[in-house]
Amino acid sequence: MSELVQNLIDGLGRGSIYALLALGVAVVFGIMHLLNFAHGELITIPAYVTYWAFNNGWNWWTVVPLIVIVAVLSSLLIERIAFSRVRGAKDFTLLLTSFGVHFIVAAGFLLYVSASVKQIPRPTWAANTVAISAVRIELFDIVVIGVTIVVLAGTTWLLQRTMFGLALRAAAADFDTARLMGIKSDSVIRGAFALSGFLAGIAAVFWIMREGQVTPTAGIDPMLKGVLAALIGGLGSLRGAVLGGFVLGLAEVLLRSWLPIEIQNLTTGFVFVMIALLFIFRPGGLVSVPQVERV
Amino acid sequence: MFPDARRDVLFPVIGSAVLFSVLVGGGMLYQTIIGNGAAERLMTTMLIDAIIVIGIQIYIGNTGILSFGHIGFGAVAGYAFAVYAVSPEEKLKRIPNAPFGLTDTQVGPTLAMLIAVVVTLVFAFIVGIGLARSGAQSGAVAPTVITLAVLFVTHEVAKSWPQLTGGNRGGVSFAIGASLDKRWPILLALFAALLGARLYGQSRSGRLATAAREDNLAARAMGVNPLVQQMTALLISVVVVSIGSSLRVWQIGSILPDRFFFDYAMLTLVMLIVGGRNSVTGAVLGVAVMTAALELARRLGQEGFEIFGIGLDQAPLDWVFRENLNSIVLGIAMVGFMIWRPSGILEDWEFDRWLYRKLDRDEVEPELLVELDEVPDLRFSASDISVSFGGFHALSGAGITAASGEVVGIIGPNGAGKTTFVNVITGMVEPTHGEFSIGDRSLNGMRSFELSRSGLVRTFQNLRMFGALTVRENVETAALVAREHRADRQLPDVDPLIREAGLWEHRDRRARELDYGNSRRLELARAAAMAPSFMLLDEPTSGMSDSESLTMIEQVRHMAATVAAGVIVIDHDLGFITGISDRIYVFDQGRVIAEGTPEEVQADPRVQAAYLGSMAGD
Repeated sequence: MSELVQNLIDGLGRGSIYALLALGVAVVFGIMHLLNFAHGELITIPAYVTYWAFNNGWNWWTVVPLIVIVAVLSSLLIERIAFSRVRGAKDFTLLLTSFGVHFIVAAGFLLYVSASVKQIPRPTWAANTVAISAVRIELFDIVVIGVTIVVLAGTTWLLQRTMFGLALRAAAADFDTARLMGIKSDSVIRGAFALSGFLAGIAAVFWIMREGQVTPTAGIDPMLKGVLAALIGGLGSLRGAVLGGFVLGLAEVLLRSWLPIEIQNLTTGFVFVMIALLFIFRPGGLVSVPQVERV
Repeated sequence: MFPDARRDVLFPVIGSAVLFSVLVGGGMLYQTIIGNGAAERLMTTMLIDAIIVIGIQIYIGNTGILSFGHIGFGAVAGYAFAVYAVSPEEKLKRIPNAPFGLTDTQVGPTLAMLIAVVVTLVFAFIVGIGLARSGAQSGAVAPTVITLAVLFVTHEVAKSWPQLTGGNRGGVSFAIGASLDKRWPILLALFAALLGARLYGQSRSGRLATAAREDNLAARAMGVNPLVQQMTALLISVVVVSIGSSLRVWQIGSILPDRFFFDYAMLTLVMLIVGGRNSVTGAVLGVAVMTAALELARRLGQEGFEIFGIGLDQAPLDWVFRENLNSIVLGIAMVGFMIWRPSGILEDWEFDRWLYRKLDRDEVEPELLVELDEVPDLRFSASDISVSFGGFHALSGAGITAASGEVVGIIGPNGAGKTTFVNVITGMVEPTHGEFSIGDRSLNGMRSFELSRSGLVRTFQNLRMFGALTVRENVETAALVAREHRADRQLPDVDPLIREAGLWEHRDRRARELDYGNSRRLELARAAAMAPSFMLLDEPTSGMSDSESLTMIEQVRHMAATVAAGVIVIDHDLGFITGISDRIYVFDQGRVIAEGTPEEVQADPRVQAAYLGSMAGD
């Protein structure tokens, strides 16, 4: 029993990070139909900046805001340099553009930093555990879950209660009509990338703390988790993306604890197979967005 | 299987031979000029990359679905090949506890390759079902993510199952006989890949897949089941990729999980899109261009900037010419092409098709079609059709009948239920109640491609051409389906139909280049090529001028008569409907309020109130 509770909390902790990533993917997808394979770079770039900052005597208190700022700026910069030039292009073009951006960033670090693993000191409190009767919970998970709840609540408020949120949702529902209604496409798209970058920045803080290292291709894993979670939830649905993130995190942790020890390192493989099965039975994901075939 | 033996078999064979000679000859020339072992290895690598890229082209080019997973399939094939082909002594060292007793087995490389192909085909078939379920169509996002997941699953399994794969560090390494020191298996496979890709592209399945790539809905309306064609393309492409990957493993002499992962997926995709993903010629060009560009970048990165022995002062450019310059070049090539030339250098230009058009120009203008005297006695009937959306009754018990050789018009004010009625009888909306049928064959519950195969073929209100295909290929697509599914009817020839539609001089132009009126006529000809029992024309004159509408009347009637089809036409242009129809149904508020000859209907006071009254109002 206590093991199950421990696993659930562990899964929610992971799921929180995935949910933040997936929500960022979904926001951008909603606005310009771009599935951003470069989303993981919003973790890699801040991670290298973190590595640099620690080598220059910064500490976690000052690094955390830096990570978020760098993530937002990176998101905006990538939009400006690459994605703004393929706006309205076919999905095929958009997909490959983002894939290419991932590759350029990774190759950039390979060229100008190095291929080797760079270590980042993990915060000391992260490994502490809190004991509630028989259940031992990592403090890190509690912090992650708590912060994620606050961030998600804030994002909900932003989307539901502000003019920007309304513009964003209107543009996601029908970009052309939203423009005709006087919504500035440039600012709403930039806003979406900024929001996506902010969410990725929060996720990056935890990701970097947990991993404690970075390599040029470190963005692949978070990208894949974010994209898959968004897909599990049903592409285009923001709520679905968050749900998908938590489902993916829980599935990973629970599966790992249930699998026999010899095949535990195949967990990721099994998770993919489960996702494939989900798609065979529910092609639209958990929260289906009604797709009308236009004649 | 091939509509035209010269164009679809002979020329692709010639074209493949030429592409093969150019690529291999160019490689030999480079090798001779440079004259070292590194150049030879580079050329061998290029030829193997070409096989794999051509394999990927078969899927991506014909279906328009972006796949990262082909390198994952390559990994499966590569490991299957390695595990079977490596000698037992070597396996004892690397994978002593391989499952399924594989440690002791050894087969020759050819057989191992065959096993690799079969194993990968089974895997690809399962993945293909998932792709189909996820709503695979040109440019769709979900199937692409599934293929990405395939790439990761195979990589993950290769890393985490060391008993079988040797794991992340050891890998499986070989000494199969004298390894692949002679190139002939590669050359053979390359030629087969080229030929296979070109023949598939021209084959019935390739044509139908391409039509679905251009417009999925229109292809289904022409009786194509895109999922079947996509699966065919997937399996054929996987055969080629498996052979290429086995050769790659054989040539390198070992396999590691990272050899078939992100970097290689990226490399092959860039090669494909740089040249032009919709063309085999483009794929070959892309392989050559990118091999050259990356080799140049690699050497610039290693040796600094120096051309013909003249070195520039390299200090200011030191930040560019660094180790690993090639990997950033790869990324920039990808993004650059996506921004400035997303269809690649050649777009869909194909060498053998160009050659065919150059050499085979002596086409005679075909005879006009004769109207068929014998009209089969078939009736289309839709009776008592009701559709409700929530509490709103879009249709309440509407029905029509039409006989072969008859032109039946449907008209009504906005919101009368015309569009819903069309959606029901084209299989896009399930009626809450009601039956529709041709003869005694019920059409209820049929999917759109089954409907058109059963003889009810539609056109679209907003034009839906297979834009990148030529006028003739558009009509041929329908004819190909008709040959299979409408064989009991007398099928019209393609060329006369094109002439009949007034498009003979445009026959080799792409459909997307046609003007509006010509596009409408092409859509009509394409529908007629299906040899339909009934043609359903959804607002065939929308966007046309009055005089064009009037000439359309003659064309529709004549075209229908040449295939002995009945016509059901929906339009809001009263002049057109009364001019073309033998009988008219007037819809209002989800019901048929009047039926009869144009004169009778026009004289009906209910019609005047419901329709003409509201017309006068707007």
